[in-house]
Amino acid sequence: MVTPNSLILATADQLARFAPFDSMEREHLIWLALRLRLDYYARGEVVLGPEAGPAEIFYIIKQGAIHGEQDVARAQDANDWLELHEGECFPLGALLSRRAVASTYRAGQDTFCFELAAADFRELLKRSEAFHDFCTRRLANLLEQSKQVIQAEYAKSSSEQQSMSSTLASLIRGDPVTCAPETPLRQVLGTMHRLAIGSMVAVDAHGKPLGIFTLHDLLHRVVLAGISLDVPFHAVMSPDPETLPPHALAHDAALTMARRGFRHILVAENGRLQGLISEKDLFSLQRVGLRQISGAIRGADHLDKLKHSANDIRQLAHNMLAQGVATEQFTQIISTLNDLLTRRTIELELRDDPAAVLSFCWLALDAEGRMEQTLGSDQHNGIVFTAHEDEDAEAIRAVLLPFAKRVNLALAQYGFPLSTTMASNAQWCLSLQEWKHTCAGWIARGDALDQAAIFFDLRPVAGADSLAMDLRAWQTTAISPRFLGQMAAHALRNAPPHGSVLDFFAGKGGTLDIECNGSALFVDAARVFSLAAGGGHTTLERLRASCQALGVSTQDAQAWCDAFLFIQLLRLRLHREGHGVDPDKLNGLDKRILREAFRQARKLQARLAQVVRE
Amino acid sequence: MKWLLSLFGRKPELTREQAARLAAWRALPLPVLDTEFAASRYVVVDVETSGLNLARDRLIAIGAVAIADGEIRLADSMEIVVQQQRISDHANILIHGIGGTAQAEGVPPAEAMLAFLEYLGRSPLIAFHVTFDKTMIDRALKTGLGLAFKHPWSDLAYVAPALYPELASANRSLDDWMGRFGISNYARHSALADALSTAELMLALRERMRTRHVGNFRNLVHLEKAQRMTIWAG
Repeated sequence: MVTPNSLILATADQLARFAPFDSMEREHLIWLALRLRLDYYARGEVVLGPEAGPAEIFYIIKQGAIHGEQDVARAQDANDWLELHEGECFPLGALLSRRAVASTYRAGQDTFCFELAAADFRELLKRSEAFHDFCTRRLANLLEQSKQVIQAEYAKSSSEQQSMSSTLASLIRGDPVTCAPETPLRQVLGTMHRLAIGSMVAVDAHGKPLGIFTLHDLLHRVVLAGISLDVPFHAVMSPDPETLPPHALAHDAALTMARRGFRHILVAENGRLQGLISEKDLFSLQRVGLRQISGAIRGADHLDKLKHSANDIRQLAHNMLAQGVATEQFTQIISTLNDLLTRRTIELELRDDPAAVLSFCWLALDAEGRMEQTLGSDQHNGIVFTAHEDEDAEAIRAVLLPFAKRVNLALAQYGFPLSTTMASNAQWCLSLQEWKHTCAGWIARGDALDQAAIFFDLRPVAGADSLAMDLRAWQTTAISPRFLGQMAAHALRNAPPHGSVLDFFAGKGGTLDIECNGSALFVDAARVFSLAAGGGHTTLERLRASCQALGVSTQDAQAWCDAFLFIQLLRLRLHREGHGVDPDKLNGLDKRILREAFRQARKLQARLAQVVRE
Repeated sequence: MKWLLSLFGRKPELTREQAARLAAWRALPLPVLDTEFAASRYVVVDVETSGLNLARDRLIAIGAVAIADGEIRLADSMEIVVQQQRISDHANILIHGIGGTAQAEGVPPAEAMLAFLEYLGRSPLIAFHVTFDKTMIDRALKTGLGLAFKHPWSDLAYVAPALYPELASANRSLDDWMGRFGISNYARHSALADALSTAELMLALRERMRTRHVGNFRNLVHLEKAQRMTIWAG
């Protein structure tokens, strides 16, 4: 190696005054300085522009200033305009994703720039952890910025923000009002009236909650039931109330309320009551409440009412996006409500139907099965039923199919378009034995990888859960390494779009299929990971589980999750336009992140290819 | 008194290896001065000496930076301290900062000048106030290697005012022109740092060179000659 002379040393010193060079090792700075070139740009001169093609040079401003200009057409976003000064560098995103820059970089004054060839830039990423960190962290910051933009977009309707990720401890309004379980009901009602509260919790001597009673219960449990007000409180209370710890999130409470149809959640730590959270505390600002929707669904006696609830779910989704609910929690809540909707529809359709007596389980498949349904995605469902050896599966299916047809049509009315993968399709309505037989055939032949993928993401929604669990357990034992390899190869065939693809589509009216070319990349790889290493039903769970089982670094797994969540969020925001994304409609920030997401997808696929080889 | 003797034309004694290296340099093809800047290499130099007397003072250090294909390559740079028989005086040391020990431990003259030639190749030279640098380097090559150094030089002290006549009266020194183009210097009066600043000035002048159709080294030499004539004609 060349012994560094005073110029190289001075350059390293100068760089070390700025981030990220200040946290890099001296050895790497010298390495960098030895590879730098120095160029000059007169005021107004263009340094780099989109027309130059994929970025080939990493620039560090030695002295002067560089202005980044977005196309005039998109100049309305103030974030797109940037000014860079001494020690700052560009263009990170374009270099990382090997694409052209989106902005035009122009010298704002006489400017000297250090320049590093792209190959050396990539080598430096490998050599210096600090440099690598800076480049990736910067993208995390971009994601944060993007979230704020989305929140601002949706927040117009609500004046106050309430985060679904605040802890219950921060939402508790005061000490809970409690009584002993033996207290006469009359006395309890007197206290409730005096303090103008809607609920009372019975606790034991240690503060452990034993039961809850609300004004809502008064009508049917006391008045209509004609019970004396002299009975002890424990005779009318709902015993063993659901509790959550103080560090649980508002989102957890909302989910519990929706699942169980409660209006109140008790907050307890180490068995001791700490406070009470009501639905109002969580959704005081929302026009449409979570429990209100779930209650309406439970109480609906007609499909028209469920259709109304489906609209409410959409409204709630809008509000949650406005509140900045994290994508993962968002899709969980929406999936939970959609499950309720499906379950109630099934209950209604089974009334006076011959299928009611059969033992079967309604399955959510594919995205629904992973609880990753976005708004208005196609319905994917199936049925598994019990057929004993002496029974004719065909005959049972003949009873189930008309019923399934009505459910599918109802779901379509709610806004979940019909597909070919539905319970009313005889192919997807099979007995437990038939399913195992079919699936074993897929595994042995490896000729129906798409169907298999849909089927491996199954979840019980209504009916006999045990049938679905049985299938799931059987799946994990039935898979062969050869089949896994085929699944992986199939996933790898869908290559992430290159950065330049976005540019290709831009301005040509073309669109990018954000499901097929975006989320599917992550979903398919995560499925293979989970089948290979076990664990996880949602894509995020699977990716996280893979970092332990497959030795993926937590950082990498988190980056994959972030990238997947960003694509999901993009789909949620663009759901009205279907799966196609017109790159012209994305702002510069989103484009940059999307390109980074594709870069993560490439990393994920590289890892998948490696797992398969091993 | 070796240096005095060499002034009178005594041939320096080179080892066989050094003689071979010098012969190799001599055998290099002469520079093509018509190649456009964007595709050629030229070397910007600056020297530190024991004083400002052209006849008497000695070369202490050379700093050089190459501009290749239109850009400064930081790694394509060199600095060398020439070993001194006599240490320069205190006031002089305060200017360039090369202390007595560093001067005494410098590279022996023949070796130092060979290193310079090998770094230079046949690339044309650029400096600010060429007369001074050229005189010092010529003499060091003569005494150190017995080489009569005939090499193309260009002087930015003439080129800059020729390109910017409107600024000529207000800007005379390297510091003036650096200030005009916002050029910094990490260690003024260190040969290499000054060479870098001169090289940066060269890059900054390029814009005006383009409009004046000064696209290669020969054009630069002509421009400089015309400027000297203008000054001489008063």
